[in-house]
Amino acid sequence: MNQEGVESESAIVNQLKRLLLAIEVSGRAILPGTNDQLLQSIVDAAARIFGATAASLALVEKDGQSLVFRVATTVPGVESVVGMRVPIDRGIVGYVAMTGQPIAISNVREDARFNQDFARSTGYMPQSILAMPLISNDRVIGVMEVLDKINAPTFGLMDMELLAIFAQQAAIAIDQSQHFDQLGRAVLLGLQTLASQEPGQYGHLLGALQDSQGYSEQDQEILELADLFYDIRMLGEAERRMLLQVTSAFRDYCRSRPGQFGFGRI
Amino acid sequence: MSSEPLRPAWSQSFSPEALQIVMTSGPIAHINPEWAWGGSTGAGVRVAIIDSGVEADHPALGGMVRGGVIVNYDEQEPNKVRIEPEEQPVDIFGHGTACAGIIHSLAPEAELYSIRVLGRDLKGRAVQFAGGLRWALENQIQVINLSLSTNREEYYALFHQLTDDAYFKNATLVSAVNNYPVPSYPSLYSSVISVAAHEGKDPFTFFYNPSPPVEFGAPGIDVKVAWIDKGYTTSTGNSFAAPHISGIVALIRAKHPTLTPFQIKTVLFACASNTQAG
Repeated sequence: MNQEGVESESAIVNQLKRLLLAIEVSGRAILPGTNDQLLQSIVDAAARIFGATAASLALVEKDGQSLVFRVATTVPGVESVVGMRVPIDRGIVGYVAMTGQPIAISNVREDARFNQDFARSTGYMPQSILAMPLISNDRVIGVMEVLDKINAPTFGLMDMELLAIFAQQAAIAIDQSQHFDQLGRAVLLGLQTLASQEPGQYGHLLGALQDSQGYSEQDQEILELADLFYDIRMLGEAERRMLLQVTSAFRDYCRSRPGQFGFGRI
Repeated sequence: MSSEPLRPAWSQSFSPEALQIVMTSGPIAHINPEWAWGGSTGAGVRVAIIDSGVEADHPALGGMVRGGVIVNYDEQEPNKVRIEPEEQPVDIFGHGTACAGIIHSLAPEAELYSIRVLGRDLKGRAVQFAGGLRWALENQIQVINLSLSTNREEYYALFHQLTDDAYFKNATLVSAVNNYPVPSYPSLYSSVISVAAHEGKDPFTFFYNPSPPVEFGAPGIDVKVAWIDKGYTTSTGNSFAAPHISGIVALIRAKHPTLTPFQIKTVLFACASNTQAG
């Protein structure tokens, strides 16, 4: 490899390192440990708090026509619903996704259909159900449900209120993880481009990494912000400290005046 | 990202410890349930249920379903909806049948119409909902039961216009508020009768809340309701409280056909179980 090639390679490695770090920083900024384990723990905690036999969380597919179960508690002897798909026009989960309204139902088994085919296929037929929509940016992104309250025939309004808190946390977690997924895909795209290039010819790498199609506008801004923070961090310790102080002061100022910069909903 | 703080649920105003006695005076104090709906069966009043459909042949409906439509989302059409008549309405979830059953149990001779606005897709849901409301107004429906709402700001104006149209056409809109307190349209508009659930079981016992936007509380907890496939279930939610009020409004409209929506609201206020002549 000639001298020019080595130089450009070291430059690209530096740039790649810098971008990966920026993405890591932005990941941290928008993603406080969000993943399926967090959703799993939300569902497990909900089941415990409600004294429910089972709990699960299903997400609306992109086409808006079906839901897929993402996490669920483990019920001994019962096939897991995780990965199962249900059409949006069927069952309690579908109704809640359609209307954005929570609902509590009991006496399920004897009296009505309630998507029984699906319940039969998993080997578990609930007696009572409480289902709550997960709402993000005014849209239903999924449904969380708890099944069969132990020692009580039905779920009440207080249960509904309590599950709303769990559902809100889950919705925030999912919303954040979806942003991270977009960033992750963009990085993957960049790395794939890198792998397909001849050594020393990495001209398109940055373009691919920064391909705006991979990011939403919000992600793009977060990346720019992360990049900016990285630059300042590299200037030296005093600059880092100053950045921290200025940023904290700005945050506190914004918090004290919600809505002034259009941040009121964040 | 939307992360509204959780506030006490709308239903809390109707819990035994929170319930307030509200004083009435003057001629309003003389209005009582006997005057308002005594002897009425709801005969001749057209009531629409905007929901998941209505199972027309469900025994809990006593053969009172007179027709219905399916409101489909269609980008090519004006107002983005295509209306499909449905002579023998069906229900895809059970919820609409539950609401219709409650209305029929209170107003056994009211004529029921199914307006199905839920379909195979989440896309266009609020537009379908608006289309259903428009169809009801164009077809001389007098009482409209809405157990659905949207919290999307972009529909604020559209639903405001439709609820005004309803008022001027003398159609009474009865709407369930969302089960948790987020803004929901059109349930929070003043010309709409907004309803949350209370814990009581007597179908004719309802309460007035002097702290709007939710004005009335009706039974909605562990209510035995009709469901699809001629079944029944026990259900909880504000969406089961609204049809109790819709049924009572149908009774009032049948007995006093000239009352306007705000006058009906006043009659409901006077007849609420927590109002007292002072």
